[in-house]
Amino acid sequence: MGRVRFIGILAALVGLSVVSAAAHHSFSAEYDSNKPLKLTGKVIEMRWSNPHAWIYINVSGKDGKVVKWAWETGGANALYRRGWRKEDLVAGTVVVVDGYQARNGSTTANATSITFQDGRRLFAGSSNPNAPK
Amino acid sequence: MSAPASFDLPIPPPEKGAPAPPTIKRLSDGKPDLAGFYMPDGGGGNYGLGKHEQDFLTPGGRGIIVDPPDGTLPMQPWAKAEVKSRQLPERGYDDPTAHCFVAGVPRSTYVPAPLQILQPPGYLVILHERMSWRSIPLDGRPHLPDEMRLWQGDSVGQWDGDTLVVETTNFNGKTWLNEVGEIVSHAQRVIERFTPINGDRINYQATVSDPLVYTRPWTVAFALNRQKEELLEVACHEDNQDLQHLKDVRDEARAKARTNSTR
Repeated sequence: MGRVRFIGILAALVGLSVVSAAAHHSFSAEYDSNKPLKLTGKVIEMRWSNPHAWIYINVSGKDGKVVKWAWETGGANALYRRGWRKEDLVAGTVVVVDGYQARNGSTTANATSITFQDGRRLFAGSSNPNAPK
Repeated sequence: MSAPASFDLPIPPPEKGAPAPPTIKRLSDGKPDLAGFYMPDGGGGNYGLGKHEQDFLTPGGRGIIVDPPDGTLPMQPWAKAEVKSRQLPERGYDDPTAHCFVAGVPRSTYVPAPLQILQPPGYLVILHERMSWRSIPLDGRPHLPDEMRLWQGDSVGQWDGDTLVVETTNFNGKTWLNEVGEIVSHAQRVIERFTPINGDRINYQATVSDPLVYTRPWTVAFALNRQKEELLEVACHEDNQDLQHLKDVRDEARAKARTNSTR
């Protein structure tokens, strides 16, 4: 683990850095508090975009059917300051993502955190109040 | 420009063993040199200016209103009703920042994003990370003509001792004060006070008068803390998929309302 990444993760974990974690508008309008989700899947693509970044994962169901899920996170800056790095999120990486599903019931969700196979957990820079600021 | 009263913020005690904060740097004319990077300690004002608990995806806030003393916005009844309406999911699409418009004043200062202050001769310039800026002339010029209406308003500033006092008028009334839809109109007038208390901290306060919305002026106050970290880029229009989601939520609510009204 590189020094820069280690510092980033440490900062995210202990909440040292006061980062721009928030959305540009209320996520409450889009996502449903009654639909919490936790899914394990393989990264298809990490899109470092604005105003919010997106991570797309393939999730295999019990029936063997693979479903593509789009997870919205905070902006690219918020993720970077929380320790997210491009090299950790190459296609095929297995991750656990948790958050809340969209109100419209589509396979879209707001991510609150991502956990890697080695146990590292990074907050997703969303405006979720349970994530450290 | 008549400046409102100053509200002192509590100054946190220094951490044990930490070096004393640096003294205020000065420019050659003796004015404080505020240039540098800062993180606002906005206290959750972007999710409600008064004290409030977290609610699902809306973070809580400690409350940054120092006047009125009860810490609540002195809104007229119609404005309270409008704020409530703006909090419906189908009104999420109406939030100007969802469309990547600038945050306005004073919201630009308490959105949780860093800012940079520059002080070229005759100006104070604030660069906000969410890619907006304010260029504040200090040469005593009058405001723009009344018919010119702007998202960030028209700001002019002057020094009052070590405090930079900035008056902003000429707003277009389109901004929201935060994600929960607290209101200002085009009649808004803001007086901000930037008071450095040491080399690492500026006490900031903003007094908002808006007779169309409020029964009296109100003031928020919080600190801007110097940081080493610089600004990054926020290209808000790049991949703004929220707008379509928010529109879907709105359209669905409208369709439901139409169905109900034709029954």
